[in-house]
Amino acid sequence: MNQDLQQQFVRDMLTESYDGLDRYDRAILLLERQAADTETLNDIFRVVHTLKGTAGCLGFHRIEKLAHAGENLLDALRNGLLAPTPAIASGLLRLSDGLRTLLQTIEATTTDAGAADHTALIADLHDLRLNPAGPAASSPPAHEPLPAADPTPAVSDLASAAAPVDPAAETSALSDGESATWGLFDPLPDAAPAIAAHAAATAPTPSAAAARVSPAPAAPSPTTPAVGETSGRNSALAASSVRVDVALLDRLMNLVGELVLSRNQLVQLAQTRHLRPEAVTEISQRLNLVTTELQEGVMKTRMQPIGNIWGKFPRIVRDIAHELGKQVRLQTVGNETELDRTIIESIRDPLTHIIRNAIDHGIESPEKRSAAGKTAEGQLLMRAYHEGGQVNIEIIDDGAGLNLARIRQKAVEKKLMSAEEAARLSDREATNIVFLPGFSTAEQITNVSGRGVGMDVVKTNIEKIGGSVDIQSAFGQGTTIKIKIPLTLAIVPALIVRAGGDRFAIPQVSLLELVRLEGAAATAALEKVYDTPVFRLRGHLLPLIFLHRELKLPGPTQLDAVNIVVLQADQRTFGLVVDDICDTEEIVVKPLGKHLKSLPMFAGATIMGDGRVALILDALGLAQHSRVVSEAHERARTSAVSDDGSSQSAHLTQLLLFSLPGRARLALPLDQAARLEEIAPKSIETSGAREAVQYRGQIMPLLRLGRYLPGAEDPAATGESLQVIVYQHAGLSIGLVVGHIHDIIAQELAIQPGSAAPGLVGSAVIQGHITDLVDIPAILQSAGLSFAHAA
Amino acid sequence: MKRLALAVDDALTMRKLVAFTLRSAGFDVLEAQDGVAALEVLRTNAVDLIITDVNMPRMDGITFTREARQTPHGRGIPILVLTTESDAEKKNLARAAGATAWIVKPFQQPQLLALVGRVIPGSVPTPA
Repeated sequence: MNQDLQQQFVRDMLTESYDGLDRYDRAILLLERQAADTETLNDIFRVVHTLKGTAGCLGFHRIEKLAHAGENLLDALRNGLLAPTPAIASGLLRLSDGLRTLLQTIEATTTDAGAADHTALIADLHDLRLNPAGPAASSPPAHEPLPAADPTPAVSDLASAAAPVDPAAETSALSDGESATWGLFDPLPDAAPAIAAHAAATAPTPSAAAARVSPAPAAPSPTTPAVGETSGRNSALAASSVRVDVALLDRLMNLVGELVLSRNQLVQLAQTRHLRPEAVTEISQRLNLVTTELQEGVMKTRMQPIGNIWGKFPRIVRDIAHELGKQVRLQTVGNETELDRTIIESIRDPLTHIIRNAIDHGIESPEKRSAAGKTAEGQLLMRAYHEGGQVNIEIIDDGAGLNLARIRQKAVEKKLMSAEEAARLSDREATNIVFLPGFSTAEQITNVSGRGVGMDVVKTNIEKIGGSVDIQSAFGQGTTIKIKIPLTLAIVPALIVRAGGDRFAIPQVSLLELVRLEGAAATAALEKVYDTPVFRLRGHLLPLIFLHRELKLPGPTQLDAVNIVVLQADQRTFGLVVDDICDTEEIVVKPLGKHLKSLPMFAGATIMGDGRVALILDALGLAQHSRVVSEAHERARTSAVSDDGSSQSAHLTQLLLFSLPGRARLALPLDQAARLEEIAPKSIETSGAREAVQYRGQIMPLLRLGRYLPGAEDPAATGESLQVIVYQHAGLSIGLVVGHIHDIIAQELAIQPGSAAPGLVGSAVIQGHITDLVDIPAILQSAGLSFAHAA
Repeated sequence: MKRLALAVDDALTMRKLVAFTLRSAGFDVLEAQDGVAALEVLRTNAVDLIITDVNMPRMDGITFTREARQTPHGRGIPILVLTTESDAEKKNLARAAGATAWIVKPFQQPQLLALVGRVIPGSVPTPA
């Protein structure tokens, strides 16, 4: 077997074994809970058994030996000769750590000769089979090197590594032939001598020598640099290969075929003298279609279920919980949620950190939990789901929650801010302190967390890939950490805008809506609050940023319209004023060069259809650069909203405020008013005994509200115009003549019916004043205009 | 004409190793991941040799050997069983199920080829 093939087999073995060991770990955790069935035990037995066989065939005898010891123990378990004990579960987990370390050494150095030989572990596994309870307290895993530290003793083993592992013994075993390693069940009479001769003859051939990994030439050079690299639990191998569904691969090949066809057509077309315009259209349509499908297909090959990394978490949770003396049950939902593999890789560490934090700081000790009336076992839920082109990941614990008072105090102690500043913080801001560099609330620095790497690193890493982190916490009830990340980083849908003659791309993820104001509305709509330009968008004040000012570009020459791109960054919204809004496009993101990386407003660059470069705007960076998302504006917005009398509650009623001489504050539900009109008194005619006007080709009866409400008078007919609310019901319109129409507001209605006079539903406090609600159906009835007859 | 072998193992690497070894000796090799899949292969293919693992999900090698012996294609051909050295009991079960020969896993390629050469004389070129 040549070197390449050997390496291919080794790579296969590594991939297969890493997968198997992840499954193995999960199964052992079940075993620890006494929840493993026979099928599970058979499965993990096979994992170790297979590893032993494969490793042996490829010449990795340390793995073979260690796996053999584990296999014996597992065999006894699955045959029911042994009952699982905590000691056995711990031993089996150490087995998987040991095997992983050996595999990682092989991955890095192509041989296992340089790795620790795990003699102690092998002895322990053997002992466990005879003494399942484990040597009482004498054997904590302390005398066994920790997995992460394992490669270090390998250095001291280097000397022995240089010498091949007993090759003589192997070769002699080979020539021993039949009795030891293989045989026929019904040997032919003349078999024995021939076989022996045959086997002996095969032994020295080159292929036989190569089949065993000969450690001598390979070991010395690569071992030394590899020691550091192997320390992580995660293997680089997972990142360097990916499994793709064969059907998908076939589809891609098909599409590439289509692409080649289109290319040929295009080449031919370019050589045609008299170009038909339709031909160009056809080919561009075809190219468009093929490219889109190809793009989707290739994207799919890069997609991986998030379960791939979640698979490791049960073990991590178990280890941390044990270390801290806590009980934690981990549940995962949405394992099949897919996202780009580069993103999967980059969220692994942040997620691990969040989980460590949740167990260390969040979930309380069993005693504290019981005292608080919770189950002794803490619940940790990890949930992933797709939403609007993004993946949401939530890590929810039912622990102690964030103690905001303590966080404020700690922030002052750590000199992150003054006591006054801390006291002024809103709860939301106080929550966000945990993201500040150098902040840690752990009362005690534990081994698990509080080692200087904090939530700030988590936040930075998530934001680096275009995601966001948010914490919600209820003191005493638990904490939810919500991470939003894009599906992929390579190609994103974006809106193209123009400012100062340049084009810019804004990723759709941060885009909420577009507002265009024309003519007089443009100048009237822009207001100022605390020197910040704002726009009143449906009752909310939207802080505005002018893109050309921010980037110091020339402003637009004439201002006939204002284009506002409403963006969201860090949970706040703001408006970006641009000169022109062009179109949406799928853009290919190119990172900016190193020297431009420090500009927070830009997320990268892209090349447009015409070959020119457009910069990609970073909503968060823009907002921070112009300080539009600081808390002051948030407060300004909130207070402006409450002045308006509106809030974002779900039970809002929209009301039309109007007045009559003698009744200054009247209201009716807006949904009863079809439209508002002004009519000239001279257009009023009489039809029968009733006043009416011609309205949209129909006769609309008029009703002077002032005559039906106690205390109110009819507005004087000044000769200019009358304000009319058009009330519509069952296809008929009636004009209600009122004095003045003031405003439309939305608010929660708390009607107090006690004061009801004829023609009124009741009254409510609106904008700080008592306002009467008019009962239009009742008035119509008393005026003899009831729709009951009409309908 | 090339001889056709069937390699049965749930472990991909081991299966490939067996297949590779046989191919290097001039066999065409079909692969199956367990006994059930192997029986399916056997239904439509007349193979000259089967090499099977013992411990597999769905259907183990012993059961597969027994079942294979009941099929037209599996009746008269050599079936080699890959066992582990400690499994004297497995060896007996394999013999009872109708296996032709056994080889200990891990094996060296020459060992496997020597055994194949024994059960199908002339199938493996003698090394020069």
